[in-house]
Amino acid sequence: MTEKTTTRDELIEDIIDRYDGETGMLIPMMQDLQTECGYLPADELRRLAERLDLPVSRLYAVATFYSSFRLAPKGLHEVTLCIGTVCYLKGAGRISEAICSEFQVEPGGTTPDGLFSYLPVNCVGACALAPVMIVDGEYHDGVSVDAAMEILRTLPAEEIDSEQEAQT
Amino acid sequence: MPTVTIDDIQVEVEQGATILDAANKAGVWIPTLCHHPAVTPQATCRICMVELDRGEWKQLVTACNYPVRRDITVSVSGDNAVKARRGVMEFMLARAPDNEQLKAIAGRMGVDSTPWPTVTVAQRDCILCGLCTAVCDEVLGLAAIGFSGRGVDRAVAAPFRQAPDDCIACGACQAVCPVGTIQLRLHEDTDEIEISPFKARAKLRKCEQCGARVVSEPTAAEALKNVNVDWEKIRNLAKLCPKCRRIRAAESLAATASGTPTKEMTR
Ligand code: SF4
Ligand code: FES
Repeated sequence: MTEKTTTRDELIEDIIDRYDGETGMLIPMMQDLQTECGYLPADELRRLAERLDLPVSRLYAVATFYSSFRLAPKGLHEVTLCIGTVCYLKGAGRISEAICSEFQVEPGGTTPDGLFSYLPVNCVGACALAPVMIVDGEYHDGVSVDAAMEILRTLPAEEIDSEQEAQT
Repeated sequence: MPTVTIDDIQVEVEQGATILDAANKAGVWIPTLCHHPAVTPQATCRICMVELDRGEWKQLVTACNYPVRRDITVSVSGDNAVKARRGVMEFMLARAPDNEQLKAIAGRMGVDSTPWPTVTVAQRDCILCGLCTAVCDEVLGLAAIGFSGRGVDRAVAAPFRQAPDDCIACGACQAVCPVGTIQLRLHEDTDEIEISPFKARAKLRKCEQCGARVVSEPTAAEALKNVNVDWEKIRNLAKLCPKCRRIRAAESLAATASGTPTKEMTR
């Protein structure tokens, strides 16, 4: 316990030092924290807030404002769904609803079994392929609700290539 | 002093006063929601929009924070201004369709319903004006609550949506909320006050004399922190409810009047 606390505090100190403790550099600091931990753990955020003398609510607001920040650990797989205008018009909204209800996941969250993290994003710049769903970096184009669900249902529950996962 | 012409009524206001100040002086009603004298102008709700006449062109501005720097002409009851405000109100009614406070203002503005689909129950009622977060940050210096998410997911929340550590359950957020979204719940069994929906709870301080519940313990502690003079008297008075405090003050006054001077005299 004590050891973990020390390392955690050290990590926060280290990150703060990288930016000379500038509160204006809060976002890069949070990005670094996420890179180190894979997500933004609540305790670490609280510690960072305390050290920067900022209210925790400010950090929470930032963390929830930007969709690239995550407050829960990543799932085994990463599922990104484009809900930009074109994809949306072609049914991405319904796909999103289906994903959320079948896998009990919230946008930006991870399924309770840790199978995948689900992130709806605004336009991936592949409108010709709409609607687009990206699973572990692989683009699936023109997916219907059924096709999307089938892809997700057949996701392997074991880690296949952990190296590839660790990035992005 | 610049002159503001509002719907043909002319008033003079101090340099830097807002259009809203001028309207109040002129006796012209402009609806407001996110405006509160205790905090800096939020200008988030847009319900106070009026049309500023700039000669060649006209512009919609928010009356609550638009500073008057020179003579200006403003229209509150003109078509554009009325339409703009009603449009905003229709959006708000979609967020808080059953809210009595909002409906009262809407009625006064001539809006009786909204053409928009209403939001989900989880987002119901809050119009995201930001007064609660502002008072907690600017006045209390706590910022125990803040905004979370963005776009349609924007909401007022405590960090991690858990009971906030920094909350002293003072109830200021509840007091400023223009639509009564934040509520104080009394838990008789535990003598606790809860600030809903933030799940914040704190023990209530009881009047030493009559047992009436006064404020939350952390609020009393916070208030005493700001008292520089460590007067035993103030400490003791803080243990009473306002009523008993007045009675005690009257007693000490009476004692003075009857010729027994006392240092215990208070307001
Ligand atoms: S809870 Fe009330 S005061 Fe706070 S943002 Fe919502 S409407 Fe405004
Ligand atoms: S009262 Fe002016 S913007 Fe809300």
